[in-house]
Amino acid sequence: MTSPVVPVNLGVVAPARRKPGLLRQLVSRPDGLAGLLILAFFTVLAMFPNLLVGPLETAITATGPRLAPPQAGYPLGTDELGRSMLNLVVHATRVSMVIGLLATLVTVFIGALLGITSGYVGGRLDAVTMRIADFFLVIPTFVLAIILTAIIRDVLGTGSKEIFGIRLSLITIVIVIGITSWSATARIIRSQTLSLKQRAFVDRARVIGSGDWRIMRKHILPNVTNLIVANAVLTFAGAILLETTLSFVGLGDPFQPSWGQILDAARNVGAPGLGAWWYFVPAGICIVLVVFAFTLLGSALDAILNPKLQARR
Amino acid sequence: MTTAIRDRRQWPLPKLADPNAPLLEVRDLAVRFSMPDSASVRAVDGVSFMMQHGEALGIAGESGCGKTTTALSLLRLLPSNGRITAGSINLYGIDLVPKTESQLARYRWREISMVFQGAMNALNPVRRIGEQIAAPIEIRLGQPQDASNKRAGELLELVGIPKQRASAYPHELSGGMRQRAMIAMALACDPALVIGDEPTTALDVMVQAQILQLLERLRRDLGLSLMLITHDLSVIAETCDRVMVMYAGRVAEEGPVRRVFSAPRHPYTRKLMSAFPNIRADRRTLDVIPGTPPDLRNPPPGCRFAPRCADAMNVCRTDVPPEIRFEDGVRVACHLYPAAAGA
Repeated sequence: MTSPVVPVNLGVVAPARRKPGLLRQLVSRPDGLAGLLILAFFTVLAMFPNLLVGPLETAITATGPRLAPPQAGYPLGTDELGRSMLNLVVHATRVSMVIGLLATLVTVFIGALLGITSGYVGGRLDAVTMRIADFFLVIPTFVLAIILTAIIRDVLGTGSKEIFGIRLSLITIVIVIGITSWSATARIIRSQTLSLKQRAFVDRARVIGSGDWRIMRKHILPNVTNLIVANAVLTFAGAILLETTLSFVGLGDPFQPSWGQILDAARNVGAPGLGAWWYFVPAGICIVLVVFAFTLLGSALDAILNPKLQARR
Repeated sequence: MTTAIRDRRQWPLPKLADPNAPLLEVRDLAVRFSMPDSASVRAVDGVSFMMQHGEALGIAGESGCGKTTTALSLLRLLPSNGRITAGSINLYGIDLVPKTESQLARYRWREISMVFQGAMNALNPVRRIGEQIAAPIEIRLGQPQDASNKRAGELLELVGIPKQRASAYPHELSGGMRQRAMIAMALACDPALVIGDEPTTALDVMVQAQILQLLERLRRDLGLSLMLITHDLSVIAETCDRVMVMYAGRVAEEGPVRRVFSAPRHPYTRKLMSAFPNIRADRRTLDVIPGTPPDLRNPPPGCRFAPRCADAMNVCRTDVPPEIRFEDGVRVACHLYPAAAGA
């Protein structure tokens, strides 16, 4: 028998491609760049409100005319107490963004953890987890959120207590959003886990000696990262909207202006009826822009983190 | 190329190993799948065979005849409703059937590894192939990460993939290269026995030939034993020393490839071979075996091939055929051959 010829060099050897960093890849895409820029803008607003527009104005420190349209010194007009709307909207950025971020982290963490474990382990754990998830899915989020806010506020207490420098009333909102929105994430990730579990590479990993924990971490999790990211983006947008809603119905913290608080105040004052558009339009635009930026970023991340999509590009 | 890999048995034999025992001896293996309607399917029913060190055994048969189930039970990778109900699997004379999951760890992948059907599914799409090949080295052999990665590179070179490709994702490789990567992964822990479950199905003929050549070379160079599961008889004829033909969960015929293929004795083997296109024959139509394999929830009492067999006699429908051993090393389970014909 002649010695078999096994081609060692199969065509051109592609040099090991050094992948550019995630950030560079994001910036090279128009949607990623736009999303990043908008978010960077709001992050700066959220981080340095005092430097940009001075300390938060209150009814006592307010100096402007009442409910005045935009004018010199008050580029976004004033509210009924004479506070500069620019000052309020910029300070509100921090509260809205922090709540959105924390609520997203909580939601995605709970959702991914429960989704992967219940999908992978299956059986009774899966059944119990999913019935609980169903419960949260069918109860109208808003009603549940209102009730939960009252309960959690009762448990945690109100007032000016702080955890990690965040007021308890805000943490209440974060917990409420987390509890009401994890189930959708968990459901989606569970379904993907169920299909991944059937793939041969999970069996292979098991024979190779990977334990359940390692399989979930190294094989399932990387395969659902796109879903997690896409979901985090939607959750962030949803969290900001839910926070807005809760504030709008008066369940926010009146001492911490968020965009929702401003909209609530605008309604109380009757700004739309008075034609005081400057009262609610800036906060509204901020909400829309942030949600939009996260959506852009989400689609860009999805395309980058999913190696298949990337190859096709 | 890599002397470390060429040197057989880097790792000592398992403690209780009998050095004189054959590599693998499977005796009366039975696997049952429990079905939702409380019925059970006897997917493998009393299969016995033996493999010597360095031997290549081909397992042939129709879909659903228990080839893959037999192989999966060696690694105990059966689906959750499948269970080994009887028999023994002796590796170096050590019975693997009573072992617990954690005791099996010593054998899985280190002694027996597998090239899975369909490389695209057996590779994690979002992890680089180098990482995936290095994983068993890290986990099973406890090697540090950089040593495992280095060896993963060597293994890739061994199967004919430049080691720079270790950073590629599975979808960036062609079908043939993915299959090579799977083979590299099977070799990661330097196993004694590699099971190839349809390793060349879904590849075109040229790539198929390359992969088979690769397997053959590896077997010679590394002193591997190979179990090749396929429905493609030509693959077995080309690569294997012995062939085992299975039908409906039982062994129909087993013996040296040349003997079996030149003079098939079991009617099923004969039918199977005439159902296979022959490039030299000028006839245009292929023989088709009439009927379908039996329902294994309720198999026929005698020979399972009897309902489709042209040579079936009355005894075939009532009695399970005994196993007849011929002097030339072929064994056949068929009533056509009186027990006297055996050795």
